Amino acid sequence: MSDYTIREQSNTWQEGASKNITFIVTKDCQLACKYCYLVGKNAKERMPWSVAKEAIDYILGHEGDFREEAVIWDFIGGEPFLEIDLIDKICDYLKNEMFRRNHHWFNSYRFSFSTNGINYHEEKVQRYIEKNRNHLSIGVTIDGTELKHDLNRVYKHSERGSYKDVARNIPLWLQQFPNAATKVTISSADIPYIKESVLHLYSLGIHEVNINCVFEDVWNEGDDKLFEEQLMQLADGIIDGGYYTDYACSFFSEYLGKPLDIERENQNWCGAGKMLSIDAAGNFYPCTRFAAYSLRSKKPVIIGNIHDGIDKNKLRPFLTLDRTTQSPQECIDCEVASGCAWCQGENYDAADTNTIYQRATAICKMHKARVRANNYYWNKLYRKLELEGQREEFEKNKKKSNDVIC
Amino acid sequence: MLQYLIILLDETSTSFCHYEAPKKERKLISLDTLRQGIRFGMMENLMIQYVYPDYELPDEYKEVIESIDHSKIKPMAEDADVLVMNKIEAVQTDIPVVLRIGKQELFAHQKEVVAMLKGAPRLNVVLTDVETFTDEDFDAYKKVLAALSAEVEKLYVEGKSPQLNLLTDRMMLSQMNNCGAGDTSITLAPNGKFYVCPAFYYDDEADSIGDLEQGLDIKNKQLYKLSYAPICRHCDAWQCKRCIWLNRKTTLEVNTPSHEQCVVAHLERNASRELQHNIRKHGTFLPEHEEIKEIDYLDPFDVREDW
Ligand code: SF4
Ligand code: SF4
Repeated sequence: MSDYTIREQSNTWQEGASKNITFIVTKDCQLACKYCYLVGKNAKERMPWSVAKEAIDYILGHEGDFREEAVIWDFIGGEPFLEIDLIDKICDYLKNEMFRRNHHWFNSYRFSFSTNGINYHEEKVQRYIEKNRNHLSIGVTIDGTELKHDLNRVYKHSERGSYKDVARNIPLWLQQFPNAATKVTISSADIPYIKESVLHLYSLGIHEVNINCVFEDVWNEGDDKLFEEQLMQLADGIIDGGYYTDYACSFFSEYLGKPLDIERENQNWCGAGKMLSIDAAGNFYPCTRFAAYSLRSKKPVIIGNIHDGIDKNKLRPFLTLDRTTQSPQECIDCEVASGCAWCQGENYDAADTNTIYQRATAICKMHKARVRANNYYWNKLYRKLELEGQREEFEKNKKKSNDVIC
Repeated sequence: MLQYLIILLDETSTSFCHYEAPKKERKLISLDTLRQGIRFGMMENLMIQYVYPDYELPDEYKEVIESIDHSKIKPMAEDADVLVMNKIEAVQTDIPVVLRIGKQELFAHQKEVVAMLKGAPRLNVVLTDVETFTDEDFDAYKKVLAALSAEVEKLYVEGKSPQLNLLTDRMMLSQMNNCGAGDTSITLAPNGKFYVCPAFYYDDEADSIGDLEQGLDIKNKQLYKLSYAPICRHCDAWQCKRCIWLNRKTTLEVNTPSHEQCVVAHLERNASRELQHNIRKHGTFLPEHEEIKEIDYLDPFDVREDW
């Protein structure tokens, strides 16, 4: 392989072919992040084992309804590792049951976590990781420099920043998962810190930074300009520092900012409905964003429960949703539409009626700013590669990128 | 485009469709609201359809009602343009009849339904429990449609032209002909507010789409149109009502039908296909209409990969 292969984001494990099943194990968290979309977080709702077990029995007992080749068992919170005992029990049961039932997922499963990293080093968590190492994906959320991280990611009561407690666990995490990625979410106040944050994460040894703007309508006048400037500076930093060979940042993608064909490129963006979330009461949701604790202004969308199963009629809107039916004309005609993401849950939450068919466009100006900076990035990078005689080599080796939004 | 304004004259106005009208206490629309509603209809060029309760209205109402061209949907035949019946009964009339019944009643009384068809120029059977159909019910419905079809065929051979919505509408249509709630029609309730259809009013009075004072305000209006209905726009069960209210009830979205609604409508479509084929064996029949094609699905959702 050439020295000049450019690192783009890795494809998610078995992407497309896998079912994503999420256990909302707790609604509690040590932190109270300022941008957290979980408006209804609380310490009371913990998933009882009986609910988890019944959910597993239902899902594995309906193999015909879950035909995807592989499965990602996802654990979220709040902070999922607060419930490590329950998770350990769930995973043991899952492994046993998939084997006992000779289920087609037995050799195609993964356990996935998105954690704040605070208790990553604890013995119970480490024991769990050791036991399931070959089937694990763990993402630790760290927002960038200490200053940036502590701006948002603060402890619940003291409002003390959590950076130090997370950063001390990063070396252990990277040693166990050298290819691990982190996820960064940007809202208005974070814009000035983007460049230094991404470069800081690279300096910690994290090679893949998945970063996106929140979908909520939080943007102020002029944020797009600031955002564009930050991304241009980041582009300079990545290219001048030669990071593009070995590090990836989801802000820059060659597939971004092109018009989309009404017919050929009409797919929905988000996977809600193809996923399944289960809460502590045993209710099923098309995605966690449709559970009550994630919604600001709408009723939860419950598509069944562990006792009665999935109401397939409630999944039909999700499975037939396409891009143009939910988009305003402005988005359909947009010259830079590709890569402009949406979240079905936020669309629903922000819609004028109880529908998932009204696309929220709060992110529009930020996407356009991103496209301009992205164009700058690729023009600059290609010119550099050409001057260094490496362009052809790069074209040969480049991978398809994979936008990660939720 | 809006074309029809349905006015519920009373809280107990009869249901003429899939929903139940649950209110028991009589309460007429106020004369003033009625007048304003008529005015609204005139200004928006809407055809007015009055829905009547089961009692005689005071004379002053009759006068206002007659002040504009309209049609009357009534639970009694006298002076009606459409007669609504809630059970299977002998009938002899020269106006169209809407028969609202549950599946079991239909399955058990097909002969009586045929008799009713003979007694009216048109019979619209409205099933009041489409959302409860099971696989066994689909089988039973298919058989009932086949039996009804044989009777309709006989009538055609005798030179009559009976109209039974479940079987003959699809043969006569060349495009979708759905209920149109929220798109071509809206409803004015006795409280002076507009609703997508009467069912939305009875479900939740707060779920209005405007009122006589402020005018119409249909949010996400496009979603009531066929072109914004991902499943239905790929469908050729043109006689289907595409009930917006049942859509919302079963799938939570006004533009997405349930599996049950689709299968029921496709069983009707396929029975119409058979009927068209059988009538054509006797001679030329509706030559301007294309042959209804054979298809291998009962729910367009199941073939969404091919759209
Ligand atoms: S939406 Fe249309 S078909 Fe459904 S109940 Fe209302 S009027 Fe009838
Ligand atoms: S059969 Fe189904 S897809 Fe076709 S119009 Fe009726 S509800 Fe829509």
